[in-house]
Amino acid sequence: MSEVSSKQRQFDALVRSLSGDLFRYAYWLCGNEALAHDLVQETFLRAWRALDSLRETAAAKPWLITILRREHARLYERKTPQFTDVDELDIADERVSHMPEATGDEHLIRTAMHKLDPKYREPLLMQVLGGYSCEEIAQELKITPAAVMTQVFRARQKLKAVFGGESNEASIHELP
Amino acid sequence: MNCLDFRRQLNIDPHAAAREFLHHRQECPRCAQAHDRATTFETSLQHALAIPVPPQLAESILLAQATEQHRQRRRYLRRGGLFAVAAAAVLALGIGMHVRATPLATLAIDHVMAPDEHFALALTRDVTEDAVRQAFAKRGVKMQQIPAGISYVACCPVGRFTSVHMVMPGKDGPVTVFYVNNDRVAETRDFTRDGMQGRSVPMGHGTLVLVAHDTSQFDHLESEWRNALQHAS
Repeated sequence: MSEVSSKQRQFDALVRSLSGDLFRYAYWLCGNEALAHDLVQETFLRAWRALDSLRETAAAKPWLITILRREHARLYERKTPQFTDVDELDIADERVSHMPEATGDEHLIRTAMHKLDPKYREPLLMQVLGGYSCEEIAQELKITPAAVMTQVFRARQKLKAVFGGESNEASIHELP
Repeated sequence: MNCLDFRRQLNIDPHAAAREFLHHRQECPRCAQAHDRATTFETSLQHALAIPVPPQLAESILLAQATEQHRQRRRYLRRGGLFAVAAAAVLALGIGMHVRATPLATLAIDHVMAPDEHFALALTRDVTEDAVRQAFAKRGVKMQQIPAGISYVACCPVGRFTSVHMVMPGKDGPVTVFYVNNDRVAETRDFTRDGMQGRSVPMGHGTLVLVAHDTSQFDHLESEWRNALQHAS
């Protein structure tokens, strides 16, 4: 019984401490709040079944993100996603504007994030929300660290472009 | 590190802490300004990505996990039940023993003391009235009024009884409430087992069972449920 309780306590702690981060990651991955909720729930249910394989507390978040990414990929295998359609983007933009904190710069960034190509968005999410290093992102995405650096570089450039003038921050043409 | 390398690194990881990166920032005022702008942008980016999380997200995940566990346990018990039925049949045939059913009170306390039950007891947010109505409807009871403050509801078998299983977190701790339709005890009875207190009450066409660590909230809850079940059909 104590083993069961200990496992349950570990799971409770994981859910309470990481479900918010996972939800945000899922939301920016799929662009839909209800779907993000389902993805996070399924991620944790799979995590529960495999909880014995989690050895280190520090590895919990990357482990859960890996499960979540697989769940998201399965979703794409099951049905053709619609999130890149222009209409969907419009809906997403409208929804973002109704979020209570979505004002000013943050609103602009959220809108730009929705429009960002997934190949740029995901490495950036892993870095900013997941706390991954470029090497860890490379390992997870199975690409080279140099490719990751290029993608996060371009992701930031594209996001900064919404503020005008900032997009060329790193451009050689602007350097003194 | 030159300015180009610095600006490139700034867009790859503004929080870079490499010695040459920090050194260049100190040496070059224009790159230092760019670093400040990048840091400000990074703060805005983090705030923008921090979208509001649904308020009951953790609870709904834990509920889904508990429900799955419960389902697995029932499957396990059902499988185990086949062996038990076979064993009981052999026993009954062999020695002509009459197997007496375990009372609802005992089964209710066993259910509350199951290892995974602490999860349901820990929930504090109210479930919707619709969820409670649906659970009662599955047991053949159409509820009009629902007492406030139900944090968990499920249709659970309690031994041979089919129940609506609820948890009501009160000021003196959670009270587990079972309603077993079409199985009415003769009279109200208080009982104690393994440090838990219980009360079974004939109510409507069935029996209401309350289980908690103490009886302080029983009278109030009995009255609330009596009122609610009076209006049920």
